[in-house]
Amino acid sequence: MTTMMDSENRPHRAIISVRNLVKYFPIELGLLRRQVGLVKAVDDVSFDLNENETLALVGESGCGKTTTSRCIIQALKPTSGQVLFQMDGTNTVDLTQLEKKELRAARRNIRMIYQDPYSSLNPRMNLLQIIGECLVINRVVTGRVELQERVAELLRMVHLDPSTMNRYPHAFSGGQRQRIAIARALALSPKVVIADEPVSALDVSVQAQILNLLKQLQNQLGLTYLFVAHNLAVVKYEADRVAVMYAGQLVEIAETEALFLSPKHPYTEALLSAAPNADPATKYRPRIVLAGEAADSGNLPSGCAFHPRCRYAQDRCRQETPALVNIADADKPAHQAACHFAEELELVGITGEIKSAK
Amino acid sequence: MSSTRDTGATAPTPELAADTLLSVRNLKTYFFSREGTTKAVDGVSFDVKQGEILGIAGESGCGKTVTSLSIMRILPKSGKIVSGKILFNYDNQTTDLAAADPESREMRSIRGKEISMIFQEPMTAFSPVHTIGNQIIETIRIHQPVSKEEAREQAIEMLRRAGMPSPTRNIDQYTFNLSGGMRQRAMVALALSCQPKLLLADEPTTAVDVTIQAQMLNLLRDIQAELGMAIVMITHDLAVIAELTDRVMIMYLGKEVEYGTVEDVFYRSQHPYTRGLLGSIPKLAPGRVEIDPIEGSVPSVYEMPTGCKFHPRCPHYMPGVCEKRDPPLIEIAPGHAVRCYLYGGKEALE
Repeated sequence: MTTMMDSENRPHRAIISVRNLVKYFPIELGLLRRQVGLVKAVDDVSFDLNENETLALVGESGCGKTTTSRCIIQALKPTSGQVLFQMDGTNTVDLTQLEKKELRAARRNIRMIYQDPYSSLNPRMNLLQIIGECLVINRVVTGRVELQERVAELLRMVHLDPSTMNRYPHAFSGGQRQRIAIARALALSPKVVIADEPVSALDVSVQAQILNLLKQLQNQLGLTYLFVAHNLAVVKYEADRVAVMYAGQLVEIAETEALFLSPKHPYTEALLSAAPNADPATKYRPRIVLAGEAADSGNLPSGCAFHPRCRYAQDRCRQETPALVNIADADKPAHQAACHFAEELELVGITGEIKSAK
Repeated sequence: MSSTRDTGATAPTPELAADTLLSVRNLKTYFFSREGTTKAVDGVSFDVKQGEILGIAGESGCGKTVTSLSIMRILPKSGKIVSGKILFNYDNQTTDLAAADPESREMRSIRGKEISMIFQEPMTAFSPVHTIGNQIIETIRIHQPVSKEEAREQAIEMLRRAGMPSPTRNIDQYTFNLSGGMRQRAMVALALSCQPKLLLADEPTTAVDVTIQAQMLNLLRDIQAELGMAIVMITHDLAVIAELTDRVMIMYLGKEVEYGTVEDVFYRSQHPYTRGLLGSIPKLAPGRVEIDPIEGSVPSVYEMPTGCKFHPRCPHYMPGVCEKRDPPLIEIAPGHAVRCYLYGGKEALE
């Protein structure tokens, strides 16, 4: 397992190391389900999720961010690659190789929160059943009293009134439902929580409450988050590091501030420039508007998948696929980008001005 | 603000100033069901000037979509305009859309020609079994006396303006042939096919990715500059409001709580709800910018608070005042109004 040092020379310990993760979906056609192609949803992705950090996975729809998170928790079986999980101090397991029973034990430490709290909670179960289900299945509690005590504790943790545990999800607003989903995810005291767009379906005022709650719980319980999101302002607020995906590949990964202020991949630059900002003063700023749509993972362009939309593309980009490499001159130690010209281009972050907007 | 009630067809329709395209006055749209009455829009007034972009922002249940459906007169059966006026200036005369029969020839000639609408989900705007071209041509031929060939030319031209990559080919495609971003462009082309004076845009950028959203905002900006129509942009996303609009109206539970220029609302906001909303959104700025959420959540329609509907969540709640009666709209600067007792109106309670 890799150990990286940050600026204060504290070692970052990777709790999950994703290595060369690949997930292909076959495209089948006709009566005989003949395979006519492959959707390369995730194509050779490697990164570390460090203990006690929030790593955001961002990108447009279809870029593979959700598939990546599902492959980590083994809800989808990866085509190839490793997902190394640090069970405790010494014991590292590859989740992709585990038997069903061992996987169940490992999964107690990795839980998920989903986007839509209206569809992720069973309407016919009350809060005690929803939150208590995994406690009962995993035999964490014995007896009804202990179950109720633990559920009450979890409800207090997410700032809900424990006396509501006999009510059903319909009695709660969207924000409260997302709190219930968080309480359920925390029931087994996991180490890692994978949150897939946890605030996208919520009202603006409630979104802020949930973002703050997630942070507070992280500090309180020492949680590690993999935060899948598309809203860059939310990511800027919530994440310690950000990984940007495009067409199934990781194109850039860096600490949040470094990525937003000095991006090293043209796609990141374009995303930052396109993101609307809630300030009328920036209304008329020049911006990069990418032409066309994100590359089709079933029919990727040659070379760098981003080259047809890249304003800096050259011949080399059409032929050679760039690898994700460390950027030598970056001031922060762990800035990686997959661009042939990452070190030559002077890209603009959220503070700079795009010179020739096109 | 006048509290004129709609007294039927006999009342003379007031004339609007020439630069005002639409004037909504004390509009109330209620939904009636077995569970009770839902006051989705409860006394909203605003003007839209010729060629301006007005933003209507608010959270779910604030009535922003029902306001636009009321203007178009395409409310579901359970919804009714119970009072108020929707004055619309066209053909050198003022018509009260609230008093018109939704099925009337007049309303049908306005809908799609003078006022048109784009939606969040483009699939709902198109029929899946007809080509997009046929649907645009149909719209053009309903409203204009042109031949099929001429209408087709116009449709291709509109698709080109809406930024479709190859309009002559796209015109014969079905919605399922198109990607999400292209469907949105096709929907814009359909909405603009008769060069309306007013475009109601209901969350058109909500379901799409940031890069497509940026394309869409640019498209609306360009088309507005080119054709000079007015746009009412309805969204929950304050960033989109800041990017696109000239003036903003913030709504909460069926009422406007603040309106003004986009600068008034973003830099000099006065209503505690507007301030709360602005404080809740993370910003794309360097360094750590804290966010400060509003307490609680939007109440359910069946548990509507009395008085100012924001008072249970308000940090400036004044006991004995705010829960009594709905505060009046107070103009604190020219063109900048707030509905809050902090800025006056308490005297009337005595």
